[in-house]
Amino acid sequence: MTAGPALRLTDVTVRYGERIALRDLDLSIARGEVVALAGPNGSGKTTLIRAVLGLLPLDRGSIEILGEPLASLSIRERARRVAWVPQGEGARDDVRLADYIQYGRYAHREPWSGELSTDRAAVARALSAAGLADRAQEGILSLSGGERQRATLARALAQEAPLLLLDEPTSHLDIGHQLDFLGRVRQLARESQVTVVAALHDLNLAARFTDRVVVLSRGRQVADGPAPEVLSEDLLRRVWGVVAERRIEPQTGVPYLIPRRLVEPPRGDDPLAGWGPVHVVGGGGSAGPILRMLADEGARTTVGVLNLLDSDAELAEDLGLPSVIEAPFAPLSEAVRRENSELLARARAIVVGPFPVGPSNLANLADVAPFVGRIPVFLAQEPPISARDWTGGRATEVWNRLLAGGATPFATPAELGDRLRSVAGGPIGRPVPADRSHVE
Amino acid sequence: MGGDVASARGASEPKRRLGRAWRLAIAVAILGLLAVLVSPLIGPVPIPAEVVLRVLFGSAHPCAGYVSSAYSCSAARVIVWEVRVPEILLALIAGAALGISGAGLQGIFRNPLADPFLLGISSGATLGASVVLVFQVGIREANLVLPLFAFLGASGTGGVVVLLARNRYGSVETLLLGGVAIASFLSAADALMLLYNPALSLQVDYWLLGGLGSASWSVDAIATSLVVAFGTVLSLYGPELNLIQLGNDVAQSAGVSTNRVRVIVILLASVVTAAAVAFTGIIGFVGLVSPHVIRRTVGTDYRIVLGGSAITGATFLLVARDISILAFPSSVLPIGIFTAFAGVPFFLYLLLRQSRVTAMGAGS
Repeated sequence: MTAGPALRLTDVTVRYGERIALRDLDLSIARGEVVALAGPNGSGKTTLIRAVLGLLPLDRGSIEILGEPLASLSIRERARRVAWVPQGEGARDDVRLADYIQYGRYAHREPWSGELSTDRAAVARALSAAGLADRAQEGILSLSGGERQRATLARALAQEAPLLLLDEPTSHLDIGHQLDFLGRVRQLARESQVTVVAALHDLNLAARFTDRVVVLSRGRQVADGPAPEVLSEDLLRRVWGVVAERRIEPQTGVPYLIPRRLVEPPRGDDPLAGWGPVHVVGGGGSAGPILRMLADEGARTTVGVLNLLDSDAELAEDLGLPSVIEAPFAPLSEAVRRENSELLARARAIVVGPFPVGPSNLANLADVAPFVGRIPVFLAQEPPISARDWTGGRATEVWNRLLAGGATPFATPAELGDRLRSVAGGPIGRPVPADRSHVE
Repeated sequence: MGGDVASARGASEPKRRLGRAWRLAIAVAILGLLAVLVSPLIGPVPIPAEVVLRVLFGSAHPCAGYVSSAYSCSAARVIVWEVRVPEILLALIAGAALGISGAGLQGIFRNPLADPFLLGISSGATLGASVVLVFQVGIREANLVLPLFAFLGASGTGGVVVLLARNRYGSVETLLLGGVAIASFLSAADALMLLYNPALSLQVDYWLLGGLGSASWSVDAIATSLVVAFGTVLSLYGPELNLIQLGNDVAQSAGVSTNRVRVIVILLASVVTAAAVAFTGIIGFVGLVSPHVIRRTVGTDYRIVLGGSAITGATFLLVARDISILAFPSSVLPIGIFTAFAGVPFFLYLLLRQSRVTAMGAGS
């Protein structure tokens, strides 16, 4: 075979009718590379794979496999260069595994000839690479889901193509079989210099098992490079619309991502979804359950004033909530109070969490007072204020004033949710146009 | 190393399955052979077995020792050689044709309900026959002209469907729907034609029901050469059909020119079916059932299913002929009626047995 990268796409555009599935894609993959294709559903991963297989017509551009234009290769010649493990290949008939894998030799056989010793050797190699050497004589339907996926891999390997395309190969597998499957693929690439392109939804598996991650979004390539460079929190926010936390596995330097919430919460019938902002006054770990409830409901939420070492502050950061934070044990500074008041002024409802009140954060409670009667204010009454008043009664006094002014007490986050829902769905909640400025 | 030990262990189960499959295959073959041997003895005209055998083995005086008023001895010779043997041969050829094209089409469409008449081939044949009967085209030579027109109608319909199949990215579903639409169109055209000559519709109906009555050595020669030539080519498409069972895209990624294979298989199945139907009329159920019998017993490898379905179809049609004569000796029952009567209960039995096995398998 001639020189050139294992796969090169130049200016490739693919359309389904009016819809453009791949747009101006340029991509070059070297021999022996293991590349993950990542991107949300509908981003063009499967389209790209099907285009490389020659199953879809290109609207524009060209594809070369090992330096040869795909368009100039016959179907049989393509099969000797590119093999494919499709998404959930369904063998419906109970074929003997060895026969099933033998099907992969089709492109290497002369028309209407029987199987040769080279075919049998290739089948044996494929079986052992897939870890199925001892199952060769069994019917394919007697295999487990994980084994069947490996059987599909073996069928593709029997094609002995230098380029292997995998479409979501692990999506139906349990975590053990996921690791096993991708570990085998990785080993194949290393030992037989097979080039692998795999569409993977699981970014953590992509980071762990591939040399390079190509990210597609709406048919365009938006990122390309080694996983540690490509898989950033910012990318997840932009491409998947997910707020995630990125950590680095210290032993290997491999990044892994913990998804936290959607940037744009789903807007269902729930009046709270997308409603807000709801400003939560918290601190001392007391606001956690409230923040989680609001995040689950999809309400837009702000928080203040929190203590830097506080678990509420950590959670607010993980959830990506705009928050006002003060250094620990210091009295609230003027700047911080102003910032908090801005969030309070922007809020459509205020929730006062069950935080312990001391002299340093009494202002947190007091600053809510001007808003009582103007917008709905909710006061946590469990545990009661008397039990967490460390100011010698001044906090209790402020709390009672808020209550007398029209604030509504609540016992549990669930009760708060119900009350907020009726506000959001009621006449007060509806007419005000959505304020999205806090997200930016 | 470890694999060798393990494969020896794993081999016992399929070996048993294989053994069962071979026993069944041998049983079918023996049944077929038996049918071939017994069939000449069976016919509407009662002729003693010994006379038939003497005729077959070329005895100079086959009727020696038998006195019969029902027929002359020369008639016995004619009946055996010019009626029964050609009829048996036609039953075998037509059954094989229907069996193999049913298998081919079920494979191409990945649909167990596909049969040789799926794509409107029967409508095409009927239209061809109606044209001859209504317009009296070459009616003097009806024995040859009618089959010719039926053949042209049937294979022509297959050709039109194949034109539909040539769209490279077209789906199998499009093709199926196209075939069904064409069948409806041809049936409508046929009905319109017969409207002008309602008396003929009975004749067309009778032809439709199918029978072996037109068998003769010349008919057999034509049918056999067509069916053997095109059927043999069709029987070689096992590897392609095996891959197509995994999906057209998978087959293509493994090197099968699915579009070309689709066109070729449909065309071959059409010609093979047309060659049989032109002489026998529409014989239902043989093409549908035979591939199922093979798949459910011997296995799903199309390298075996194609040829196996031909053998099963041939046996089925011949046995159907024998039983229909034995059951209704005085009237010549159209064999198409009989294949359905005999085939449907057997088919239902197979289906029910299979679903029970599947249900048990799913539970384990």
